[in-house]
Amino acid sequence: MNNKNTQNEQLESILRRAHVPEPSLELKERIIAEAAKAWNQTSPELPWQIPVRRLLVSAAAAVFVIWLANCSSDFTLAKWQSGKVPATSDQPTDIEALPEMPYGPFVRHLASLNRRSSVIDASALNDHIEALRHILEESPQGGAAKPPTPAGSRSRLILDPPSNISYS
Amino acid sequence: MNRSRDNILDKKLPDNMLRAALARNDPAAVELIWDRYAGDLLAFLQGVLCSRHDAEDVLQTVFVRIVQKRQRLVKARHLDAYVFRIARNESLRLIGRRKKERTIAAVNESCLIVPEDRRQPNDLAEQLQAALGRLPLPQCEVIVMRIYRQKTFSEISGILGLSQNTVASRYRYGMEKLRTLLENLTL
Repeated sequence: MNNKNTQNEQLESILRRAHVPEPSLELKERIIAEAAKAWNQTSPELPWQIPVRRLLVSAAAAVFVIWLANCSSDFTLAKWQSGKVPATSDQPTDIEALPEMPYGPFVRHLASLNRRSSVIDASALNDHIEALRHILEESPQGGAAKPPTPAGSRSRLILDPPSNISYS
Repeated sequence: MNRSRDNILDKKLPDNMLRAALARNDPAAVELIWDRYAGDLLAFLQGVLCSRHDAEDVLQTVFVRIVQKRQRLVKARHLDAYVFRIARNESLRLIGRRKKERTIAAVNESCLIVPEDRRQPNDLAEQLQAALGRLPLPQCEVIVMRIYRQKTFSEISGILGLSQNTVASRYRYGMEKLRTLLENLTL
């Protein structure tokens, strides 16, 4: 340790044999003249200007980020937007025909079912109602509903036991 | 202890005067900045750039920057650290530009001066400068401030905005490297 300290001191003494020159008078005049010129050219910043400038820069940055996000969103969704918007509401879209569905086949199937069920086919509905009416007319009571069972009486769901069954 | 207190007291007055002059927007502040920083800044820049010519050019740029940012200087918490940070940034910018343009320092003039003495080798200044030039920048700047501007570790830590331990360890590592670089001189 002592040896190291001695070596350091020796090295410091060698380094100190040299010295760095002080700035010359010419250099001082030149630099002060330049600095004075810069002083006159730049107006001093008022204290309130700094936060206002920061606020403006932050607002501009925020607007830019939002604009960038919008652009990115539009670009990503561009392929999902068909050219004729009214056609999608008028007639059901063929889901199978759409390219690159982002979901698996099961979800695609559900989506297509959902689309189909939302479409009302007037003629099919009319046929269905006609069939129901026909069934009701053919029934013995002529489609009249039975009155509700009074409370305390036996439920209609429990069948009457056959008379020929004995429990002994 | 007394010495460090005196240093603090010595430093406080010009510091306040400087801030007041800058706050008044008084052009005389440039002279005060020169008196306070020019010597240290020039030594620091010469150590970093290894060229007196480049150091003088960068010193001019540093003064122009200080003048342009004078209102920020008034509010700076550590005046010395702020000024030396500007100097460091400007010198690094010059080094980066040199690397980009693949040019060398304009004038390969020695920054160090060795008094005429028969016992000393003629090229001592060149050898010392070459050795300092081969040190990493953080170590070089600490050694230059310590050896050639007689700053204490405490003062250097204030100037560079580092802890005293960091400054001391940079100095120690730098000296170890210098010892190997200048082995023939020390022996």
